[in-house]
Amino acid sequence: MNRADLERLLDRLVDATVLERVVISFASLLFAIVVGGVIVLLAGIPATCRDPAFVFAGREFCYDPIEMYLTLFEGAGAFGSLTNLGLTLQETSVLLFTGLSVAVAFRAGLFNIGTQGQMVLGALGSALTIVWVAPSLPENVVGTVVIVPLAVVVATVIGGLYGTLPGLMKAYADAHEVITTIMLNFVAMGIAFYLVRNHVGDTTTDSVQTTPIPDFARLPPTIDGTRFSILVLLFGLAAAIALYLLYERTVVGYDLRTSGLAPEAADYGGVNAKRNIVASMTLSGALGGIAGAMYVLMVHYRWETDMPPLGFDGIAVSILAGNNPLGVIPASLLFGALKGGSLQIDFALGVPPELVEVLRGLIILFVAMPEFFRMIGSYAGYGTDGGETDG
Amino acid sequence: MSDQTGARAGEESSTYAVEMEGITKRFPGVVANDDVDFAVERETVHALVGENGAGKTTLMNILYGFYEPTEGTVSVDGVPREFDSPRDAMDAGIGMIHQHFMLVKPMTVAENVVLGAEPTRFFGLLTDETAAIRTTRDLAGRYGFDIDPTDRIHETSVGEQQRVEILKALYRGAEILILDEPTAVLTPQEVEALYGMFEELIDEGKTIIFITHKLGEALEAADRISVLRDGRLVETVRAAETTREELASMMVGRDVLFDVTSDPVEYGSTTLAVDDLVVEDDRGIRAVDDVSFSVQAGEVFGVAGVDGNGQSELVEAITGLRPVESGTITFDGEGVTALSRRGRIGAGMAYIAEDRQHRSLVLEYDLLRNGLLGCQTLPRFSNGPFIDWDATGEYVDDVIAEYDVRPPDRDTTARSLSGGNQQKFVVGREFERDPSLVVASQPTRGVDIGSIEFIHNRLLDLRTEGIAVLLVSSKLEEVQRLSDRMAVIYDGQFMDVVDPDDVTEEEVGLLMAGERPAGGGQ
Repeated sequence: MNRADLERLLDRLVDATVLERVVISFASLLFAIVVGGVIVLLAGIPATCRDPAFVFAGREFCYDPIEMYLTLFEGAGAFGSLTNLGLTLQETSVLLFTGLSVAVAFRAGLFNIGTQGQMVLGALGSALTIVWVAPSLPENVVGTVVIVPLAVVVATVIGGLYGTLPGLMKAYADAHEVITTIMLNFVAMGIAFYLVRNHVGDTTTDSVQTTPIPDFARLPPTIDGTRFSILVLLFGLAAAIALYLLYERTVVGYDLRTSGLAPEAADYGGVNAKRNIVASMTLSGALGGIAGAMYVLMVHYRWETDMPPLGFDGIAVSILAGNNPLGVIPASLLFGALKGGSLQIDFALGVPPELVEVLRGLIILFVAMPEFFRMIGSYAGYGTDGGETDG
Repeated sequence: MSDQTGARAGEESSTYAVEMEGITKRFPGVVANDDVDFAVERETVHALVGENGAGKTTLMNILYGFYEPTEGTVSVDGVPREFDSPRDAMDAGIGMIHQHFMLVKPMTVAENVVLGAEPTRFFGLLTDETAAIRTTRDLAGRYGFDIDPTDRIHETSVGEQQRVEILKALYRGAEILILDEPTAVLTPQEVEALYGMFEELIDEGKTIIFITHKLGEALEAADRISVLRDGRLVETVRAAETTREELASMMVGRDVLFDVTSDPVEYGSTTLAVDDLVVEDDRGIRAVDDVSFSVQAGEVFGVAGVDGNGQSELVEAITGLRPVESGTITFDGEGVTALSRRGRIGAGMAYIAEDRQHRSLVLEYDLLRNGLLGCQTLPRFSNGPFIDWDATGEYVDDVIAEYDVRPPDRDTTARSLSGGNQQKFVVGREFERDPSLVVASQPTRGVDIGSIEFIHNRLLDLRTEGIAVLLVSSKLEEVQRLSDRMAVIYDGQFMDVVDPDDVTEEEVGLLMAGERPAGGGQ
């Protein structure tokens, strides 16, 4: 294939309608399943097992890809047990916030790769707030009603401020946000690790973690046997809808978006572009902080080093969602389902977890790539003929 | 457009250092160079002049191997060449000194000069610092450059940094040096020193091409001057045989003439008054120097001049995009010097920006969203925090219909429109908001002929409706035809304010070149 063909494809991709994009996503999913199936099959040849899935031409194949996929989707919750559904939705709920964090920045033409760091600090802030404030509160519903919103607010502020920082550097010092946010991720993890290990951590254990939060500060599980709380899911759905409305219907959203996409045009339109770029990054960081609070309140009940990379997954969620706040809802559901499903395979089939991760990665890669290329193509100016360059 | 006369300077058929024949370079939607024949004699200084966007830099980037021409051939020393990259050009003895220097600041002059081609010791394992310093010193000595090879770049002046760039090119064996706007960042003394260096280099057998849009510099430093306009080579002339005025008229050129009738109308009250305005450019250099004028309702006030003489800064200060150092701006009787851009939009100031693609449009947005740009807080388009998309949609559809924007579809992105249609949309959006002042900066730049006529007529309609118009353009013809009064700006100052129907092109050309009329102005 030559360059011209590639360019034509890229044009076509950028011009794709919403329906076409949904169809492409499902086709990619199917393709990923086929490729993954072949890998699972081949991985079963060198493996040793007591009763192979099947024998063909004298070779033993240890894993059955079809059974594996069935387990994956069953585990994801659609036909599985309530526990699986809980796991899926728990992952989905936190991913909603990290996905939205990345999406609001992308929406304004900014690449916030720092959601992970914002989440880590937000989580630490909320965990410490609870640990310090909880002893002075009654251990009942009143305590819950006070402590949970407080923890969320603290995480929002900390995450927001940690997004403000790269925003300021972008707007006033021309430092590209991709570089600064990536570096700030390391800074965040380093600071959190240092503080928890040396100053604010749980001194009764060798692990780098805070003391667990009391029962009344934990969000009550909606499904028995899991930690999933419907409150977080509803909060996330509400946030997605509110952000969609903000960007599509309000002057503030229009100004935020214009400032990130075309700062000079924003200034022309009477908007302070620099201030709005900072605001976009702050909003993005705040959502990352909230994700951290949700992780502490619903999932882990304490801050512990080596948090899962939900912030980085948020990037993939956002890309898959076409950076649309509403699109983040199905995208995080897919990611959550894959997480729930892969746990189930681990559990039921004895397939090595690494192989399951490969399948999960393939699906994410295949499904997200068309949107990713579409995004890159659109930034590179493809998608329409007759575009102009500066003479 | 004038005929091709690019080879006029080469009658005596001496060998050319560079010959570019029939060079055409197309970018999507734009022809940056259109059938350009450009030849440079060996051991001469050749200036390439033209307005911003005339295609000077594109042409030189082709010579330097940065772009491949769509059509045409490049020969160096009579040998046809095809450059795939700047490295090929360097191997052929061509060096380019960019406007923005590419030096490593913490490193020394010598280290920068040899960077990428260092003399080495121990079978290439170590850089030979001593040899680098010695080579640099020899090289600088040969061309009479005053520079210490052991100085670190961040300790040196801009003029010295430029010398380092030139040394870098010479070190790599450059015989032909291209300098892009070499004087833009220099003080007058450094400019003189640069011209001295040109002479040394020519004496040593080098050939120099420099890009500039300052005519005085071209006349002073060059042996020959080539003028580019709208991607075409207008003419190549000997510096000794031309004048500033001739060059200015070649650069600005004549536009297609339209029969635009401008009936005299009664002026209303003063809409815009600018008093003793001083504005600095991005580098903190005074770009608008004590300018005063006023525009009445029902009047078109034109500002003519070669690009880069402070027009952009003047317009940005008036429209609220650039802070004012001193002086006042009064709009409809109210002082607006400190009023925000949004405040000025609300007060009825419309603005057609010079840079349509970055200023007046968001290329990624569809026309609906672009129609809102600047109007988003006006009560007509929003209810408190919420945008009234229905009202915006109706407005945008009206603009598209009335201003003949094609394709007539509010869902197409601004990027996909041609330059003319983009500009018609911007003009419509700004005009239909009932402004009392329209600031139009280069309103027809990069716009097709049909759209130019359309935009001109609309500007005159506004005038008839009693709206004040400030028209800034580097197309002399345009300003002269449309304006009731016309100022000529040079180096941040108004040289004169004249009646456009009462001056000859030569008189205006003199003013544009910075020469005050001998018989005392006004």
